[in-house]
Amino acid sequence: MSEAATTLAGARKGRPSIVQRLVGRALARNLSCLIVPGPEVALVHSLDVVAAGMRFAATPRDANVLLVIGELSRKLDEATAVLYAQMPRPRAILVLGGPAPSSFPQADVAAGLSQAELIDATDRLQRVLAEGAFAASPEDFDAPVLQTRTEYVCPMHPEVVEEEPGSCHKCGMDLVAREAGGDKDEEETPPEHDHHHDHEHHNHEHHHGHDHDHHEHQNHHEHHQDHEHEHPHGHDHEHHQDHDHEHCHGHEHHEHDHGGHDHAGHDHGASGFMSMVEVTKDLPRSADGLAMDWLEVPFGPCFPGLPGGLKLMLTLDGDGVAEGQATSLVGMSAATKEIAAETFVERLTTAMPLAPLSYRLLACRAIEQAAGLEEDTATARACVSALERERIASHLGWLVLLGRQLGFAWLTRRATTLQLDSRCATREQLVALRPALRALTARLERTPLLKARLKGIGTLPVDSYDLRGPVARAASSAEDVRQTDAIYRELGFETRTGEGGDAWARLRQRLGEITASLDLIEAAGEPRLPILRDIGGASGTGEASVETPRGRADLRLTLEHGQVISFQLDTACNHNIGLVANLVEGQELGDALVAVGSLDLSPWEVSS
Amino acid sequence: MTIAVVLLALLGSAWLLAVIEAWLTTGRLRPAAPLLAGLSHLGRESILPRKPDRLFFETAPVLLLVVAVLGAAVLPLAPGLIIADLATGALFVNAALAYVLVALIMAGWGPNGAYAMVGGWRFLGQLIAYAMLVVMPITAVAMRAESLLTSTIVTSQAGLWNIIYQPLGFVLFFIAAMALAFRAPFDLPTAPGELAGGVDAEYTGVRLAVLRLARLVLVITLAAATTVFYLGGWHGPLLPPWAWSLIKILTVAVAMLLAGHYLPRIREADLLGWCWKLGIPLALLNILIVGLMILVVP
Repeated sequence: MSEAATTLAGARKGRPSIVQRLVGRALARNLSCLIVPGPEVALVHSLDVVAAGMRFAATPRDANVLLVIGELSRKLDEATAVLYAQMPRPRAILVLGGPAPSSFPQADVAAGLSQAELIDATDRLQRVLAEGAFAASPEDFDAPVLQTRTEYVCPMHPEVVEEEPGSCHKCGMDLVAREAGGDKDEEETPPEHDHHHDHEHHNHEHHHGHDHDHHEHQNHHEHHQDHEHEHPHGHDHEHHQDHDHEHCHGHEHHEHDHGGHDHAGHDHGASGFMSMVEVTKDLPRSADGLAMDWLEVPFGPCFPGLPGGLKLMLTLDGDGVAEGQATSLVGMSAATKEIAAETFVERLTTAMPLAPLSYRLLACRAIEQAAGLEEDTATARACVSALERERIASHLGWLVLLGRQLGFAWLTRRATTLQLDSRCATREQLVALRPALRALTARLERTPLLKARLKGIGTLPVDSYDLRGPVARAASSAEDVRQTDAIYRELGFETRTGEGGDAWARLRQRLGEITASLDLIEAAGEPRLPILRDIGGASGTGEASVETPRGRADLRLTLEHGQVISFQLDTACNHNIGLVANLVEGQELGDALVAVGSLDLSPWEVSS
Repeated sequence: MTIAVVLLALLGSAWLLAVIEAWLTTGRLRPAAPLLAGLSHLGRESILPRKPDRLFFETAPVLLLVVAVLGAAVLPLAPGLIIADLATGALFVNAALAYVLVALIMAGWGPNGAYAMVGGWRFLGQLIAYAMLVVMPITAVAMRAESLLTSTIVTSQAGLWNIIYQPLGFVLFFIAAMALAFRAPFDLPTAPGELAGGVDAEYTGVRLAVLRLARLVLVITLAAATTVFYLGGWHGPLLPPWAWSLIKILTVAVAMLLAGHYLPRIREADLLGWCWKLGIPLALLNILIVGLMILVVP
C-alpha cells in the first residue's frame, strides 16, 4: 500500500475527532519499532533506524511499528504474527525489501532496502499513522498460529476428537481443548513436566464462559510446548480492549484454550491460596536449595538482548536457569534441488545475512575448485581484504548487541556508528578509522563494571572440543583456517589467542581481531567482492574452508555441467550453538544471557 | 498553595529532565517531545494482560507515583516552600521510598508474566543491597544537623555543604539513590536486554504513561533528597533560593541518568556483595568520622 492508504490495518477503534487527530500526530512523531528479524540485520543493510527517526522498542508492547526486513522464514513469519498481535493499537507494519508477509496483515508501507528509502518510508508511515490511527471499525487480527489448530479431545478417550467444545459421547466428560497438528510426542510428556508451570492468578473477571474453565486444565503443558514457546515475549494472547464485547468473547476461547499460565486441575471457582511449599513440593531443588516455581520462559526470536531469529528456551527457577536450549527459527535448510552455480552463490549469500561476503567467498572458492580453476592471486588478496572488512563489521555488530544486552547505551551507539562506517568502506577509509577503533578498545578495557560483568561468565568447560572461531581462540585454542592460507602467510598473519575462555576473554579476543584485521587490510589492499569466474559446464567436486567472522565454515559440493547438485555446509555456529545448554545451566538469568550472547551466534548459520 | 507550587515544580522538573536527557543523548533539543510522548501513550491501547492480578496491576504505577510525590513532600525547595516540614522528615523520605519496593513487586506480580515477575523479585534483592546505604548516610547528615527536620538539615549546611563535610556519605547515598530509582546501571528490574522491560514489559497506554512519569518523578525526588542532604539545598549566591534548588536538583538528576549511558548493567550478585562488604563498612566509617568531627570541631 502507499500514501493513498489512510486507514491502518492496525488502527484503534474510535471515531475521528479533533482530539484523536492530535493524538494521531503525536503518535506519528513517536515511532518505536520492533525489528524483525533483528536490529543487527538492519545494520547489515546499512539501515540506520534511529537516524530515520525511529526508536528501538524492547518489546512488542512498547512498539507501534513492526519493521520487517527482508524475507522471513516460515517459522519466523509465524512468530512475528504473534508479536504483531501483542502490539498495542494503533500499530503499523513497515516491510523493507521483502515479499508480503503471510501470517500477518499486509504492509502499511513497503519500501526497498536502503537508507534513503527507509527515510522516505518513515515519512509515509508518519502520514499514515497521523491520519489513520483511529478508525470506526478496525480490522481484527488474530495470529493464524494461535487460531487455526484447536481441537477438542476427551481426557479419558483420546480417540474422541471434535471440532467444537462439548462433552464426550462415550463418557460424557467435558472435552478439553488442545492444539491439532502439534508434535504428537509432546502430548505424551511425562507428568512431572506439569510442574513447569507459570504462576497463576485467580481472577474471575475474565471468565465469560463456564466451560472455558475446563478447557484450560489438562492440556496446559502441550500448549506450553506447542504454543507458548512461539511467543517471543513470553506472554500469551490478550485482550485488546478496543474490541467490542462480542469479539472479546470470540477471543476468550483462544486465550483460554491456548493459555499456558494455569495450573492443571485448579478450580477457578475457589480462589484459595496456593502456598509455595505446596506448589514446589515435588520439584527438583536447584543448586541454591530454594524451592521455587519453575517457569519455562521463551527468550526470542526477537529479544532485545539476543540475536534476532535465535530462540532461547529457558527453564527458570526463580531467576536462576535450571536448563536451557537454543534453537534457530531462521536456520539453513538443506536444499537438494540442483541449481546453477551462479544462483547457488547468490542463494548462499542471501541466506547468511550476518556474513554474506564470507559465504559468497566460500561458495566461489568451492565451485572454482570443483571446476578445476586455479586460485587467482590478484583477486584473492582483494577478497581477503573484503573478508577482513566483514570481520571488523561483524565484531562491531557483536559489540552493538553486547551494549544492548548490558544496557550500555554508549557502546551500542558508538559501535553502531563505527559499523555503519566500516561495512562498505574502502581501504583508505578503514585505515582512517583506526584511531577510533583503538579508542574504542582502550575505552572498553577501562570501563568500570564491564570486566566484573563478563569475567568468569560463560566459561567453557575444559574438555570442550570442536570449538571454532573467536570463541575457540579466546580459550587459547589456535583454531584458525587462515594459518594455512598462503595469502595470509604472505601478509604476515599470525593467529592470536586469548586466555580464559570466558565472556571477557571473548570480548578482548574480538577487539584484538578487529585491530589484526585492520593490519591485514592495510597490507592486502583495496577490498573487493568475490565474483564467481566463468566455469562453463564443468563437473567435479570441490571443497573449501573460510574463516568467517564466527569461525570456520566448510563447504563441500558436487558440480555437474555447471550445476550444483549437492552440497554440505558445516558452520561454526552449528557447532557453537551446542554449547548453550551447558553454559546456561545453573547460571543467574543475566549471566546466562551474557554467556549466550558472548558466543555471537548467527541463527542463520545453524541448520534447522 | 504550597502543594500546588511543589507539584508543579515536580512536574516541571520531570519535563525538563526528559528534555535534557534526550538532548544530551541524541543531540536534539525538542522541548515538546515529552508532551508528545505522553500524548501518544494516551492514544495507544492500554492492554490488560491475560488473567492479571487486576488490583496489583492497576495500583502499581499509581502507587509508584504517589510514593515519589510523598517523598518530595517533606523536602524543602526554598525556605517555607515545603508541603510538610515533619519533625521526622529525613526518616519519612526513607519510609516513603520503601514503598517503591512494594510498587515494583506489585507491578511484577500483577501482569502474570514471567519477565515482569523476575523483574519484581530482582528489585527485592536490590532493596537488600541499597537499603542500608540510604539510611546510614542520612544518619550522619542528621547527626551534623542535630535534627531530622529537612529544613534544619539545609540550614546546617549554610557554612559548608555536606558534600565537602562528608564526601564519603555523599558518594554512598548517590549510588544508593540511583539503585533506588532503578536507573541504569542499576536497572535490574527493568533490564531491557535481559528481561525485555521486566516490570515495565506488560504496561501499555495510559498505565505506561503513569509508570514513566512516576519513574521520572522518583528520580527528581531522589535528586531533591541528595540536594537537601548534601548540596546545601537552596543555599547559593545571587539567584533566588528556589532557583538554586531547581538547578541542583536537575544537575543531580541528569548526572544520575547519564551515568547509566556509560556503564554496563551491574550484576545483582556483585551489587549485593559490594554494598554489604564494602558499602556498609564505609558508611559506618562515615558515621564515625562525622561523629569525631562533631566532637572535635566546635
